Amino acid sequence: MAANVSVQNSASERPSLRRAVTPWGSFSWGYSDVGADIFVGLGLVLGAAAGASNVAFLFAGIVYVCIGLAYTELAATYPVAGGGQYFVFRGLGDIFGFIAGWSVLLDFTIDIVLFAWSCVDYLSKLLPVIAFTQHPWTHFFFVFGLIAGLAVLNIVGVRESSAFNELVSGLDIVSETTILFFGFFFAFHPETLVHTMQTAWPTSFQLMNGVSLAIISFVGLESISQAAQETQRPASVIPRTSISLILTILIFALAYSNLALGMQTATPIPHDAHGHVQPLWHYLGNEENNGAAVAVLASLVPYWGILAAFYVPVLGAILLLISSNSGVFGSSRIAYAMSGTQLLPSIFQRVHPRYRTPAISIAFFCGVAVLELIFAALPSLHPAFKALYARLFRGEDGITFLGDLYAFGAAASYSLVFLALIALRFKDPQSPRRFKMPLNIPLTYRGGRVEFPVTAVIGFLGIASILSFVMITHQLGRIAGPTWIVFGVLGYLLYRARKQLPVLRSQPHDWRKAQINILQQAGELDMMDEYLANVKALDERKAKERTVT
Amino acid sequence: MRRLVRSPGYARARLVTGTLFAALGAVVIVRTAAGGAGWSGFSGYVLGLAMIALAVWRFREYFGFVRK
Repeated sequence: MAANVSVQNSASERPSLRRAVTPWGSFSWGYSDVGADIFVGLGLVLGAAAGASNVAFLFAGIVYVCIGLAYTELAATYPVAGGGQYFVFRGLGDIFGFIAGWSVLLDFTIDIVLFAWSCVDYLSKLLPVIAFTQHPWTHFFFVFGLIAGLAVLNIVGVRESSAFNELVSGLDIVSETTILFFGFFFAFHPETLVHTMQTAWPTSFQLMNGVSLAIISFVGLESISQAAQETQRPASVIPRTSISLILTILIFALAYSNLALGMQTATPIPHDAHGHVQPLWHYLGNEENNGAAVAVLASLVPYWGILAAFYVPVLGAILLLISSNSGVFGSSRIAYAMSGTQLLPSIFQRVHPRYRTPAISIAFFCGVAVLELIFAALPSLHPAFKALYARLFRGEDGITFLGDLYAFGAAASYSLVFLALIALRFKDPQSPRRFKMPLNIPLTYRGGRVEFPVTAVIGFLGIASILSFVMITHQLGRIAGPTWIVFGVLGYLLYRARKQLPVLRSQPHDWRKAQINILQQAGELDMMDEYLANVKALDERKAKERTVT
Repeated sequence: MRRLVRSPGYARARLVTGTLFAALGAVVIVRTAAGGAGWSGFSGYVLGLAMIALAVWRFREYFGFVRK
């Protein structure tokens, strides 16, 4: 997804991004990225965590709130595109910056496939001819066509406008809120919720699996920092819009999972394949519906469901397509940024001579996405592969495999972001922080005052446990995720050695100059003055200490 | 869209939706408690509180707009 990204040539002929995103634009940018996740995550979590799906969402949601607060602090302090990759690069050094960026790139490639796949699933509720379960080949070619189409559009340089993003986000929020109102006022029965939780409580393994999948409903916070780069006065706008975004996404995830467990539907639920009565959560989490669970749930809400059955699949599909496009756009942009800091080869910075877009990056990461699509779709396309996957990987279906990898990439990069936040509090206390994560312990470090962020530690422990759940419960994810990282790191080491750059250590960086530029370009001149004063005070203190010794 | 989100009508809409979220949050908490959900209702209580928090956030934005 791209808000109105327009490139302006400065006096130095270096292209920079125009800061034209308003508070609402900043919110909708984040929403169209993170808000689409529940459309994918709900069915997967219900299928995995059954009667404890709301607990899975709650655990992942608490971790997500910590991640959101961390991104808000970092994006308001360092309003520059690059997101987690940039924060880790700055806080922990080159190699960790590479690992974080490489994990984010994995997520962006999965983002492309997973959301294109889910987009087709939602459309299939109105066009059964493209349904995954009945017509896997048609489904496969539709998803492939969407990825190829997005790649071409991005290479040619056509992107949806910010206004379109804002309109779709606005419509979706109104729609989801309406569904929740009808659901909670007319169909929610806490007794049913308690009964479902007691009778369908999963095993510990299933619950861990559910939690690891629930985190995918909260992925996409990179967009907060992306928006920061293009927002006017980001230090004041980003915290305002981020808190609203974090609460909205948390509410939708918790509300849908509670409704799925405790709602009495307006119309009877069809019996399962064996002719047995099935509960709502089971119906939403089965293979037929898990790709479009929100649309199915919405259609079963009293009164509004009749209307929702028609428009929610379309609205969901549009939002998912925007999110898929954000994967194409985001991967090329992160690769471009990493290439600029010599974390990736310069080929990823090469732009198309005619369209002025990073065509090689776009083609490369869309190619990776197509490989992931093939790997995810194979079991449904041929019985021989189904048997092979059943033997090797417990028969995980395609969309679950994509979910596994998505959760792995997110958990890996978010873990590093928490560590980077803690490191930056110690290494760079001079940068003014207009927003800070709550719960801080004041300390004295190297003669200066710093604040140790307790919430970041809680968030780190949460996301590290989710990463361990991914490794424990996902047969495919535990192989494919670390393989991606290991191959990436090997490539990085070879590249750095060939270029005669420090391999394991970081290159020297002038962070002071970088921070002054960042704040100047963001229009945060009062923050820049404060930063300069802090730096001056630090230098004077150090000079005094040197004189004394 | 930009003109819309800067208008007083939009600010009032935030006030109305904020009030609705506060009401829904209260309903979720009360019904979960009345339904006899003990620890099983924990997720519901958090949901209700999150809705009330969003409502408070929207009220803040509304009053900020009014003050301007």
